[in-house]
Amino acid sequence: MHPAGSAAGTPRQRKGPSKRRIPVSHLGMADPHQLFDDTSSAQSQGYGAQRGPSGLGYPTASASPQAAFLADPVSNMAMAYGSSLAAQGKELVDKNIDRFIPVTKLKYYFAVDTLYVGKKLGLLFFPYLHQDWEVQYQQDTPVAPRFDVNAPDLYIPAMAFITYVLVAGLALGTQDRFSPDLLGLQASSALAWLTLEVLAILLSLYLVTVNTDLTTIDLVAFLGYKYVGMIGGILMGLLFGKIGYYLVLGWCCMSIFVFMIRTLRLKILAEAAAEGVPVRGARNQLRMYLTMAVAAAQPLFMYWLTFHLVR
Amino acid sequence: MAFTLYSLLQAALLCVNAIAVLHEERFLKNIGWGTDQGIGGFGEEPGIKSQLMNLIRSVRTVMRVPLIIVNSIAIVLLLLFG
Repeated sequence: MHPAGSAAGTPRQRKGPSKRRIPVSHLGMADPHQLFDDTSSAQSQGYGAQRGPSGLGYPTASASPQAAFLADPVSNMAMAYGSSLAAQGKELVDKNIDRFIPVTKLKYYFAVDTLYVGKKLGLLFFPYLHQDWEVQYQQDTPVAPRFDVNAPDLYIPAMAFITYVLVAGLALGTQDRFSPDLLGLQASSALAWLTLEVLAILLSLYLVTVNTDLTTIDLVAFLGYKYVGMIGGILMGLLFGKIGYYLVLGWCCMSIFVFMIRTLRLKILAEAAAEGVPVRGARNQLRMYLTMAVAAAQPLFMYWLTFHLVR
Repeated sequence: MAFTLYSLLQAALLCVNAIAVLHEERFLKNIGWGTDQGIGGFGEEPGIKSQLMNLIRSVRTVMRVPLIIVNSIAIVLLLLFG
């Protein structure tokens, strides 16, 4: 009976301080800007009611000094004032952040799910059988990447970039050439090449006066897809040496070339590509050359950024 | 490969300086790239040459004052840190 009695006594004890913690965390739960549900208070309450001492070492330890802290009226007022200041600051940041970083636009590019990522990766490695490359629209705005495989996203390029830096570190480590600042150098070098590519393509799009809806972020997304092939190449090079590296890199270069041509054709050569007719005329020819140049630059960058990692 | 973001910034600064230094009367007019020689009527496509001329003119107009500031900062930084 004693363990049951103590088990019955301790949850009641713990529920008290944990209940006093809820008003503080409620400020976060009522916030409309939250992307995820705040389950912290519910979790600690649930654990306090059901589990034994294992889950509650932490809330108990922090609840008692907090309980003593909250009992003092002056510090109560100070806490309320501090939390209202924090809420005001958060409002200010939320209002002004949209001026510098287009957060709402960026959220569209990260609205992905596992199925989309799987299908897109398959498309990046094998784009030859895919028939319909058009992005579906929904009342003038493109559909979120979750619902359409053809929509560009920033999740895969961002993850692929970080994975590329890590795999480069791994490759350097297996050759005894690793040092931590080399990681930073690889990262900033790849980022600098990406920036240069984006600026060059924007400049050439401006000079050729293409009226596209290809935004800068779209362009960054498309140019970031080559990191996936680069990772594949480096990993195969680590496992199977130079032969494996060249084979996989060659395959990924071809795939990225076809992928970029089929995707950019729809954006840059908008009117003509819709019918699928080979186009004449100086202007369309220039646009076709631009598309091919952009697509041909991808394999070059893929080779340039990886060949020094595989020996 | 030491191609960092900082070297990209330096290269961009040098390129913009190069565009800003092109003199309107002594140079651009003599090779037919002056700002009043570019208007080709209201045809549909401006063409690459007139786009380039527009670009040069806008860079020279817009970046004149910011370039003074950025160049001063770059000179001070290079003097201090090499």
